[in-house]
Amino acid sequence: MITFERVTRQYQGGAVALRDVSFHLDPGEMVFLTGHSGAGKSTLLRLVLMLEKATRGQVIVDGRNLSRTSMRTAPQVRRNVGMIFQDHKLLKDKTVFDNVSLPLIIAGLRYQDIRKRVRAALDKVGLLSKEKAWPLTLSGGEQQRVGIARAIVGMPPVLLADEPTGNLDPELSRELFGLFRQLNDQGVTVLIASHDLALIRSMGRRVLVLSQGSLVDDIPGADIAGTRA
Amino acid sequence: MSIAGFRRQARAWGRRQLFSLFSSLGTLMSHRVGTLMTILVLGIAMALPVGLYITVKNLRALDFQQEQWGTITVFLKADIGEEQALALQGLIDQQSGARTEVISPAIGMEQFREASGFGQALDMFEENPLPWVLLITPEPAEDEALEAVVVRIGDWLQQRVEVDLVQADYKWLQRLAGLLELGDALISLLTVLFSLAVVVVVSNTIRMDVANRAEEIQVLSLVGAGNGFIRQPFLYSGFWYGLLGALLALLLFNLCLYYLSQPLERLLDAYGNSFTVHNLGAGGLLLVLLAGGLLGFFGAWVSVQRYLNKIRADGMLGRV
Repeated sequence: MITFERVTRQYQGGAVALRDVSFHLDPGEMVFLTGHSGAGKSTLLRLVLMLEKATRGQVIVDGRNLSRTSMRTAPQVRRNVGMIFQDHKLLKDKTVFDNVSLPLIIAGLRYQDIRKRVRAALDKVGLLSKEKAWPLTLSGGEQQRVGIARAIVGMPPVLLADEPTGNLDPELSRELFGLFRQLNDQGVTVLIASHDLALIRSMGRRVLVLSQGSLVDDIPGADIAGTRA
Repeated sequence: MSIAGFRRQARAWGRRQLFSLFSSLGTLMSHRVGTLMTILVLGIAMALPVGLYITVKNLRALDFQQEQWGTITVFLKADIGEEQALALQGLIDQQSGARTEVISPAIGMEQFREASGFGQALDMFEENPLPWVLLITPEPAEDEALEAVVVRIGDWLQQRVEVDLVQADYKWLQRLAGLLELGDALISLLTVLFSLAVVVVVSNTIRMDVANRAEEIQVLSLVGAGNGFIRQPFLYSGFWYGLLGALLALLLFNLCLYYLSQPLERLLDAYGNSFTVHNLGAGGLLLVLLAGGLLGFFGAWVSVQRYLNKIRADGMLGRV
């Protein structure tokens, strides 16, 4: 589903964010990406979302080689990838419903269908009762779940999350990871960047470790002491 | 692409357009004061050329109503009698393009007595000092200018031995025609200048809208919105600004016209004229509204094109 082949991302001025990174994610996999701040986690996710392009190497997402396509196709690529941000990136002047419906409006769906799917997505994250609420009246955990609802409402085959639990307490973080696992169980490929090692360990899934832009470890799920063997 | 697929895409496109149209209207409504000020500026800017246009149009209508302004008055020599006067009238009538009225000295005296109010003072004349007079009203053919006919007939009469003096007001007509021409030129100039003003005002307003909504643009782009989808609400906002500005311009203009209509009618009454003030027709109204909307759309387009590119160049778009 996601393939990196010897990907290097170098910025103007010489700073190298990713160095010769190769890995492959099968459809339906759930993988964690970890490493210290500045190790290149965000850059890797940005390449998948086509927010930047690899300087060298190939990034292939859902059969499409992003290194060979024009930036003009970026919107199409992003519609196939649900992205969850640490700071939620919700629009404060729109209700929860309107925020979640954005990807469907962009896709040009009928209002009846939008309504149905937004409510289904909100139901999945347990926020159906808050559809008319404003994002700022919600707690951090709830806002994050609205962000997840927005990411999954378009039913993309791939879900990315960048430090989704960064601002949450351990209890909420565990709940959130449980939610990701549910989505993964339904067949969505999930890639989560996180440095919450304890939590990652408890999930028992494959882990990619980045250090200073290089992929230094790729640990299979079987080797992670998961609570859910 | 299959036909069904094409249809589906077209419908999706239509829904996105509708969404942009209404969401842009919603955005305008949510910043009422700012929107109102912008529309006020646009309204005033657009009311000026419209006002001048209507002024010139009314002057032109005045021109056509007032045929007597082209009247030629011919004073015959004192020794010319009725027979010769009538003969000359016959000659003039043979020439196409004019209607002639003969005024005898007696009738002339009667009219003068009534008009001047000298009354009995005129009785002191032992004999009528007035000559025979011909009043010629040119009736130009469709493709002929009034002044041309006046000049032609005037020149011909000037050379007749019976004629003492030819008086024609066509100089006045020429001046009016010149003024109207100047008015037309001014309208063109004002229209261009104020159209430019509308484009600049809308463009600047939209530029600020884009800046204020940089975050929203960023989020939309992150969840897969294409450039078109991001651009559309701003373009429609520009369209609404222009359309509402034009609407306000028409409102302002009609208020002015209403305010001016009474003194104007009194003035025209003094010229012995039953005159109705011309307003913009339905076509004119539509044209002003359409022009306003299109200018606004264009202004927004200029701004969005420039500014979205700048946002992208700054790397704001897509910074996670």
